[in-house]
Amino acid sequence: MRIYLLCLLISVFPVAANASIVQQEMRPGIPANAEYLIGERSKPAVLLLHGFLQTREFPTVTTLARGLQDAGYTVLSPTLSLNIPNRTHSLACEAVHKHGMDDDVAEIGHWVDWLKSQGYRSIVLVGHSFGSLQLLVYLSTHPDPAIKAYIGASLVEAQVGATSRPILIAQLEDRIRNNRRALVTQSLSFCRKYTSTPEDLLSYVRWDQPSVLTALKQSPVRVQLIMGDADSLLGQGWLKVLQHIQIPMVVVHGGSHFMDGEHEFDLLDHTLKFLEGIPQGTSR
Amino acid sequence: MKWPDTISIKQIALAFITGLLVLVSLIGGFAAYQTRTVTRSLEQHNQNAARSELTAAVQRLLNQTDEQATSLANWDETRQQLVLPEYYTYWRDQRVYESGILPSRFVRAALYTHSGSLLAPSATQNSLPARLPAGVSSHQASSWLVGEAGVTALYHAFPVYIDERRQSLLGYGLIRLDFMPALLQQESLHFTDIASVSLALKPGEKLPASDLFSKLKFSARPDPDRLRFQTILSRTLLALFVLLMVTALLGFVVYNRLLVRPLRKLSQDIDAMQHGRFSPHSSRSQAMRISELENVRRSLYEYQLQLRELHGSLEHQNREFHSQARQDALTGCHNRRAYEEDWESFRHELKTSPQGVAFLLFDCDRFKTINDTYGHAKGDRVLSIIADALVMALRANDRLYRLGGDEFATFLSRTTPAQAKQIAQRCQSLLDASAFSDLGINEPVGISIGIAFCAADQLEHVDDLPKQADIAMYTAKQPGRTRVALYGEDTERASQTLVASRETSALFQALATPGMLEMHYQSIHALPGCKVDYYEALARIRYHGELIQPDAFLPVINSRRLEAEFDLAVLNQVDADLTSQQLPPGIGVSINLSAQSISHPEIVSQLLELSRHNARHPLMLEITETSLITQMVEVRTYLDLLRTVNYRIAMDDFGTGYSPLRYLVDLPVDVVKFDISLVNKLGQDDRAGQVVADFARMMSDAGYSLVAEGVETDAILRKVESLGIAHVQGYLLSRPVPLADIATHLAVQAAGVTCTV
Repeated sequence: MRIYLLCLLISVFPVAANASIVQQEMRPGIPANAEYLIGERSKPAVLLLHGFLQTREFPTVTTLARGLQDAGYTVLSPTLSLNIPNRTHSLACEAVHKHGMDDDVAEIGHWVDWLKSQGYRSIVLVGHSFGSLQLLVYLSTHPDPAIKAYIGASLVEAQVGATSRPILIAQLEDRIRNNRRALVTQSLSFCRKYTSTPEDLLSYVRWDQPSVLTALKQSPVRVQLIMGDADSLLGQGWLKVLQHIQIPMVVVHGGSHFMDGEHEFDLLDHTLKFLEGIPQGTSR
Repeated sequence: MKWPDTISIKQIALAFITGLLVLVSLIGGFAAYQTRTVTRSLEQHNQNAARSELTAAVQRLLNQTDEQATSLANWDETRQQLVLPEYYTYWRDQRVYESGILPSRFVRAALYTHSGSLLAPSATQNSLPARLPAGVSSHQASSWLVGEAGVTALYHAFPVYIDERRQSLLGYGLIRLDFMPALLQQESLHFTDIASVSLALKPGEKLPASDLFSKLKFSARPDPDRLRFQTILSRTLLALFVLLMVTALLGFVVYNRLLVRPLRKLSQDIDAMQHGRFSPHSSRSQAMRISELENVRRSLYEYQLQLRELHGSLEHQNREFHSQARQDALTGCHNRRAYEEDWESFRHELKTSPQGVAFLLFDCDRFKTINDTYGHAKGDRVLSIIADALVMALRANDRLYRLGGDEFATFLSRTTPAQAKQIAQRCQSLLDASAFSDLGINEPVGISIGIAFCAADQLEHVDDLPKQADIAMYTAKQPGRTRVALYGEDTERASQTLVASRETSALFQALATPGMLEMHYQSIHALPGCKVDYYEALARIRYHGELIQPDAFLPVINSRRLEAEFDLAVLNQVDADLTSQQLPPGIGVSINLSAQSISHPEIVSQLLELSRHNARHPLMLEITETSLITQMVEVRTYLDLLRTVNYRIAMDDFGTGYSPLRYLVDLPVDVVKFDISLVNKLGQDDRAGQVVADFARMMSDAGYSLVAEGVETDAILRKVESLGIAHVQGYLLSRPVPLADIATHLAVQAAGVTCTV
């Protein structure tokens, strides 16, 4: 037992010694933080983003981050602030969501810049669920040479439930035009009562499946999707559509949306396998 | 306080029951006291428990509030509102509740900038202060209570930092809640009376939470188990007391019925028996339930029956005794006691019922002669026949009384002198027809009847009837009379009647009045020489200055059987004379006594008293030989007793009585006094004189001291002296003299009177 404990301490200590919390002020009065797992400089750095309203503490993310670090990759796992100073917990659907896609993309940009500031010139964006969408939007709107690849796990569009997206978009636009600032409650992603400002909500709602497919097709970097064929949160026919347009994609048989259980290893294995093909960036 | 000597069993029962009730009351009181003590202890325990749980509840509420504040402070959305407060009201009014950070809408939350200003005012009634009160620390939370319009609000302010390191203050949060509902809605208050919990704060008064308990008032909730226990105990005590009361009452009733009442009945029966009241329908025949009492009742009942029988027997015997006491044993008629009682009763009756009354006095003629001639047995038979005849002659309701000896009497009510005489005549006729010859009595036996009458209008003289009848009876005895005399009709006998009446009155007065009896003393001379040796005391009655001689009153004494009374009067007078010492020392005194008197204890007692004079005056008792001595043994006993106190006994009137030789043999006689009839024989030269002379000589030789009475001539004196008789007495030598003359008499005798022949 003593020997086991000693081995565990030896194995964990280097990790603990190469991990830190990084805090950056996204906007005035809105600091955000990220976990910085330092890997081998010879390997690309991975910017790992959590899903919708989650934090970097989400299990799928943390497991993947640990696996990547263990594989020698530097991993920066931020928690989007969602305009909340030092947000530490997942944000409830019913909370005042005063954040939009632009805010999220801006924060991603902040963390890409921070990685670059740390000397990483080869950065791979890895996202889970809505985070994959946010990273895809960032790719499509802020192309950066340091970004070498994109992995979208359980990629989804901005789902609005049964609501007609055009009508919703029209209503939101009307509210915005009329400067009606009242909060809007709408089904978004897995939230049934997502409460947000009209413009913020609209920023998400615009990203429907066609927009996502377009972004994927127009991605400036290599794209890799890792999807589970048991993902119940995906829109109907979404996997077929992705396969139809021939997006590089690995389908994990039996994998759910969160790739939990044994599929955590599938996600990690497929991620690592993809990363092996990414050219090394130059550090510093 | 004086305790009664005796107490009843009912009082004992009452005392026992009272004591029992007092004991039960004391025990009940002690139990109630102990219960109250336990109750107070439980109340104190409840109070302490209530205080503890209320303290815990308050602390829990404060902790809960603090936890809520911590949750709020650490909540991302809280920080969001402090940075982007555009939708603060949504957060304040909806999110804090939907998220579960605050438990209910009774708890309000507000956010303040780092300068203490409220982000946005509330539209609700429970508006929160626009600014945080001064003193709220940016480093730690603080709580206080404020009285607000009838409610007490608990405020809890806390700082909100931008991150967990608390390096940058974003602002403040404030939680407000209604303190009392929040405190009391906790389900952990079991011992506290929720309705009693209050916190007295004036409107606007602020109280730090640390001083909360100084103004928190409360009381413990009544313990239902304790109340139930008290109720059960009180009911139990009450039921026990009532049960004991009822039991005691029933016990007392049963005790009273089974024990007290029977005992009281027994006691009443015993009291009735003690007072001689025997009820023939007594409840003693009813059985009692207690076996011991039943035994007592049965014994008492049987004892009562025996007593009743005994009482009946005694009553019968009493009646017998009463009848016998009032009946003359010899004749069967009523005796003198009955006469006296009936006469007294009749006299009282006359006062209410005036009527003519006749008193008849009967006296047998020559009865003494009959008795002497034919003996006492036949004399008694004669009296019985006379009584039977008289009873037959009287009316049905008339009673015949034997007053004594041969004297009978009766009194006739509602009669007239003629009827009285007629009844008297009938008595004479029936008596004349009686067969006395069957007794061998050939002489005629008759009775003399004296009648006294008192008319209804002269009843004040009714007391004189016995005396008048006595006078009439003596009148009837006069020769030539018809033997029936009515007082007041025989005027020719008035003088004699007066004499007889005077002597009788004198005698009775002398017997009743000391001093009326006067003793005269006749000297007895010793032979030879005729020197006075002693004196014989002889009685006289001084009546109205006149001296009545014995031959006048002795018949009355004999006929009335007054010998004992008369002798007692004589002894008293002789005692007085000797005590006066008028009699020279050495001179003896001889006293006459009837033989019947010797049998009376009073006479013997008086003689023993008189014997104290024997040293100075030798005393002699002269027993009359003529009297009949029927109780020879008793008389001899008394005479022997008197001789022990130096009395000498003399046989008086020797030669005239019934059985002189027998008396000499049976009685302790020292002196024999020859009667004058014998002494006179000595003067004759015939055979009778010779017999008397020889007899005197023989008795002198036998040792008797002889006294010759009635010596009245010198010839007899010489003859007496020649016969050797020691003493002589008679008019020849001296006549009786009063006591006062004895000294003179002795002097004269000593001066030269001699009898030497």
